[in-house]
Amino acid sequence: MNPAPKPVRTPAQTLRHLFLTLFLRGRSARGLQKSGVPQSVVKKLAFTLLFYGLFGLFALFFVRQSVFAMSLYLHGMTLVFLGMFIASSAGEVLFNQQEADILLHRPVEPKALLWAKIAVLVQVSLWLAGAFNLVGFIAGRYALGGSWVYPPAHVLSTGMEALFCTGSVVLGYQLCLRWFGREKLDGLMTTFQVIMAIMVVAGGQIIPQILRRFGPEGHFTGDAWWMVLVPPAWFAGFDDALAGDRSLRSWELAALGVTVTATILWVAFGKLANSYVSGLQTLGEAGPARPAARAAERVRQRWLGRVIDAPPLSWWLRDSVARASFKLTLAYLLRDRDMKLRVYPGLAPMLVMPFIMIMQGYGHHSQHGQNGPDISGFGIAFAGAYLGLIPMLALGMTQFSQHWQAADLFRAAPLAGPASLYHGARRAVLLLLVLPLVAVFALCVWLLGGDMASHSLLLLPGLIVVPLYALIPSLGGRAIPLSQPTESAKSAGRGLRMFGVMFASMALAGMASFTWAKGWFWPFLGVETVVTGALYVLLRMSLNSARWPSME
Amino acid sequence: MISVQSLTKQFGTQTAVDALSFEIPAGQIVGFLGPNGAGKSTTLKMLTGMIEPTSGTATVAGCDLRTQLLEVKRRVGFVPDSGAVFESLTGLEYLEMVAALYAIPQDAALARIRQFIAFFDLSFATLTDKLLGAYSKGMRRKVVITAALLHNPPVVFFDEPLDGLDANAAVGFKTLIQTLAKEGKTIVYSSHILDVVERVCDRVIIIDKGKLLLDGRPDVLVAEHQAGTLEHLFTTITGGAELEQRAADFAKTFRP
Repeated sequence: MNPAPKPVRTPAQTLRHLFLTLFLRGRSARGLQKSGVPQSVVKKLAFTLLFYGLFGLFALFFVRQSVFAMSLYLHGMTLVFLGMFIASSAGEVLFNQQEADILLHRPVEPKALLWAKIAVLVQVSLWLAGAFNLVGFIAGRYALGGSWVYPPAHVLSTGMEALFCTGSVVLGYQLCLRWFGREKLDGLMTTFQVIMAIMVVAGGQIIPQILRRFGPEGHFTGDAWWMVLVPPAWFAGFDDALAGDRSLRSWELAALGVTVTATILWVAFGKLANSYVSGLQTLGEAGPARPAARAAERVRQRWLGRVIDAPPLSWWLRDSVARASFKLTLAYLLRDRDMKLRVYPGLAPMLVMPFIMIMQGYGHHSQHGQNGPDISGFGIAFAGAYLGLIPMLALGMTQFSQHWQAADLFRAAPLAGPASLYHGARRAVLLLLVLPLVAVFALCVWLLGGDMASHSLLLLPGLIVVPLYALIPSLGGRAIPLSQPTESAKSAGRGLRMFGVMFASMALAGMASFTWAKGWFWPFLGVETVVTGALYVLLRMSLNSARWPSME
Repeated sequence: MISVQSLTKQFGTQTAVDALSFEIPAGQIVGFLGPNGAGKSTTLKMLTGMIEPTSGTATVAGCDLRTQLLEVKRRVGFVPDSGAVFESLTGLEYLEMVAALYAIPQDAALARIRQFIAFFDLSFATLTDKLLGAYSKGMRRKVVITAALLHNPPVVFFDEPLDGLDANAAVGFKTLIQTLAKEGKTIVYSSHILDVVERVCDRVIIIDKGKLLLDGRPDVLVAEHQAGTLEHLFTTITGGAELEQRAADFAKTFRP
């Protein structure tokens, strides 16, 4: 007897299976043998869930706090994690340009495509949210005022939050598409993703600060008026209404959460689904850019060309190779979607931390004497040292590109080594990222005024090491911009190096604030300048004499 | 089998395809030619339902492009010039996914895939063990061609199908499409390799700036215009006649 034929999957099932497989394998799976893939995917997923689960252990610190405080922490961090995940994945999942050539001529309803993608995003969001909240589900039971109703209530509110998060991001993309059309879609999606990622990273840094500042001794409640503006408070209100103190305020917040989530889902997945259909079609259209857009690009290029050709940049970029590399790096940092999505969200925590350090110092400063070892001094010094890490981090990321194979061009050119290329990339990062940030921080410190402004000199120890840090990514023969595949962007070695430099920055900030308090700041600055200068010369000599690294 | 009337596509103020009309009966191989930016790919994408025409009508395999879009898609196969595939899938996973979208039972799909593997000289192990991202360009192209023909469509559109194929595979492919046409399939073949088009196609349609320039049998058109070859005819009518002289003049600038 012949075995029964295998049932045919419906297109909807096929698409869900396809997008889940693509999502789980991700870009890093490219080029691997399949034998390595399932293991790597399962391992990656298991490690991710384990990491989220371990991070969820922090919920135990809130056991002595109210149900609302614990839930606010859990929902706040869940929103940060899910927001980061969805913001970084949704654009690629929803609007993959190559997908048009593969799927749009097949007998598939574009609406079925949208639903399959959303199903995958929600499914993975729920996995991540579940892993992070695993401890919280139980710990909430033991929070002040908690009851056995907490675990099921928190399961519901977490599921609702996952839907809220996915719906909001999908809605954002739909609106971009509806309001701005095809020509601007790609750029807008990138900007939207970058802003989302920066917001959630900043949120992740700020939420614990808010809890610490406003909620001492377990009395943190949702009574403040601004709580209605904070989505995690709505879901925390839901938990509190069902399993906490059941106050009217909690019910109000819960009702707000349910209403907003339902509205977003209705608009994103119901009302605007047709925009997605036309959006996918327009992504397949390879029409010319509008004359206005072309003119704007021409003006931008002309303006940039003039700036580069005029002093002082023309002096700084005398070497033609460094100049070409400078332009190339600048173009990628400003135009390339993949590069922008890695660099700017990657830098976001670096930008938020110094602000937090400065603000903390500002808040505590009055408690200490002006001449004592006050915390504001350390805050500013640490902010400066943190700023120094930005070129290092950014240059580390500009080595990677989806177009890495094009970097073979550099090896084919008559260059003895990659030094000039690296110098160009380094200068582009310093000009585009570091200089504006230093200006913004200096302005902030100055605007805060008073003692804060007088402490602004403490930014100097961090700024002095910027040129040195900017040379570190070139060590080990990795000085060629855009020459590494993006799949290899994450490595333990890089993380370790980053950790080491962060530790050095903290030590530097500590020494700076200590010497400031003791009145030895200027001698310290002198010694630091000499040591940094010597190390800079050594590193630069090593880079300039470096030959092309082996391609094997 | 394909009927196109006044098909037009505008992108903003620019007209990519301008009131194009032609008929292609079953069993014909038609070379669809034009210089870069002529509107070839836009036309193919409209006829495969990937993008919506601004105006005009078309029927493909007896189905109206505007009102029976899914039916059109069930009846056409398309090899895009991009050769795009989902690179994180193995070749087999990709082809099984495509088969499922056309509701081909898994066993039947597997049997069909094995036939294509044998035809293209691929190894089954490669198809199951390696992700598409690690395939050579030629291997990837073979998978894309297989994906276009897997559901046995009556109409097939090829956009630069030989790109990346080695000489043997290209010869095999040309014989395949000629035989498919004899079996009654309609083939639209877009390419810049004009000597292949001249040998393989029963008819050529040449467009430029979205408009139809010439339509007829390649040998007849060449004779009518006293061009000698299709390549010469093409360059003459698309404004590339002085190219040889310009190339010779430009080459002189390389003299030391």
